[in-house]
Amino acid sequence: MSIIVENVSYTYMPGTTFAVSALDNVSLTIQDGEFVGIIGPTGSGKSTLVQHLNGLLRPTSGRVIVDGIDLSAKRVDLKKVRRHVGVIFQYPEHQLFEETVYKDIAFGPKNLGVSDDEIERRVYEAIAQVGLGKEILGRSPFELSGGQMRRVAIAGVLAMKPTTLVLDEPAAGLDPQGRDEILSHVRDLHQQGNLTVILVSHSMEDVARLVSRVIVMDKGRIFLEGTPREVFRKKDDLKRIGLDVPQVVQLVQKLKDKGIDIRTDVLTIDEAKSEILRILRRSTQ
Amino acid sequence: MSANMDMITAQGLGHRYKTAEGSEVQALQNVNLKVPRGQFVVIIGRNGSGKSTLAKHLNALLQPTEGRVLVNGIDTKDGERIWEVRQTAGMVFQNPDNQLVATTVEEDVAFGPENLGIPPADIRSRVRQSLLAVGMAEYAKHAPHLLSGGQKQRVAIAGILAMKPKCIILDEPTAMLDPSGREEVLQTVKKLNREGITVIHITHHMDEAVEADRVIVMDDGKVILDGSPRQVFRQVDKLKAVGLNVPQITELAQQLRNAGVEIADDILTIDEMVASLCPSS
Repeated sequence: MSIIVENVSYTYMPGTTFAVSALDNVSLTIQDGEFVGIIGPTGSGKSTLVQHLNGLLRPTSGRVIVDGIDLSAKRVDLKKVRRHVGVIFQYPEHQLFEETVYKDIAFGPKNLGVSDDEIERRVYEAIAQVGLGKEILGRSPFELSGGQMRRVAIAGVLAMKPTTLVLDEPAAGLDPQGRDEILSHVRDLHQQGNLTVILVSHSMEDVARLVSRVIVMDKGRIFLEGTPREVFRKKDDLKRIGLDVPQVVQLVQKLKDKGIDIRTDVLTIDEAKSEILRILRRSTQ
Repeated sequence: MSANMDMITAQGLGHRYKTAEGSEVQALQNVNLKVPRGQFVVIIGRNGSGKSTLAKHLNALLQPTEGRVLVNGIDTKDGERIWEVRQTAGMVFQNPDNQLVATTVEEDVAFGPENLGIPPADIRSRVRQSLLAVGMAEYAKHAPHLLSGGQKQRVAIAGILAMKPKCIILDEPTAMLDPSGREEVLQTVKKLNREGITVIHITHHMDEAVEADRVIVMDDGKVILDGSPRQVFRQVDKLKAVGLNVPQITELAQQLRNAGVEIADDILTIDEMVASLCPSS
């Protein structure tokens, strides 16, 4: 299932003196099974863009086509689209409301008219997918820790059986372990669950190690696009729009500036380590 | 009460409370702490470790169930002086949208001193000074809700500054910000610290702790590590065991050491790493 965004512009409060252009002629295609990262400074249009992907916002001009369905068409079955594209917003735990974790996860599929047996199957599957035990299902969501609540909220979206998962800052506000847990489940969902994943993040380190393609937004436009290696090599361009590159990328670039013959397209601690070991061994030979 | 040189003193501080279900939680346990005037302290710890509970004791939002807390020598249990405590130690929270109340930036900053009953002329100069200090003077007439996250947090900090505090406590002020917003807030806080304000900064971003004078690590309601960033981040395994992390560069240095490279075990910054890999230059 592909998502095609075609020359999309979006203006908040058009025709008034408060009109703000949030997206300016954005075009992109997301293929089935991709893991795409979207980064950009605050106000660059990331959240506005993702709200177009399941029809929460309609473009002021241009088209969004999800699995062949034109979301800007007059009579479009948005319910069907939303079943395919699950969006998890920032701090999704604020949207939990049921008495038990079970009921909260069951809420979505129930609204889709799924049978009770199938709902039960989905709830058990979804809770396992986010790495929580089924003993949690009878508890109130409000007794859980922040990280657990967030995973319950994600399970609620998974229970709708989406084919594409859009996550807006899923790790914001979590401690390092909570971050790693959430993100490793997202990676598993992509790899084992055959989901297309679109991750909006402020963490360059996370984007560098997880995604296969990065889209950099600035001022409502696509500023850069490519593999993490291609994008994070452009440190100066990213700095100019207020973004950073991972610390290890900064390190290898500084070493390069010192005249050391080192690859500058490393992305992770492991890659930096092997590259540094390579040059150290060569210099002792 | 003894006159002492410390801004914050916690002695045998404990905090117990009952949940709605009736079970008892020991959120803080025998915390002993002295923060000298002018220090820049970062507190790290996993969710639920007691960081925020501790912070709320430092400006009397919470009261100890055991032990006591002195803020600039004032016992926070002294009901008569609670406003003095809150004026001395101001607090900035995580979500900037929950802290800004007025329709313009300058009204928002004026809110605190107005409540203290400061004369209007004096308030105007405090608002001006505070906005200058956080680099937001040109936004005085703007509506707070239209600012970026980093700008909103700087306005929240200005609101605290207008009360002329001696200490600022920041409870994850950067959690909801993008990298440049985080940088804006951190630079602002560092500047205030250089001007003499004691800073207690709670964060999940380990790299924000690198330039602090001191890092305190909390777990399970207790202080488990307390020292300079170098002393604390050297203990990679201990930090990982309590759900924390170290800056990427420190982690890389440790992995290189494990692979047999002779490199210091307390590297914190990119420049230190470059210097130790290219000693000649």
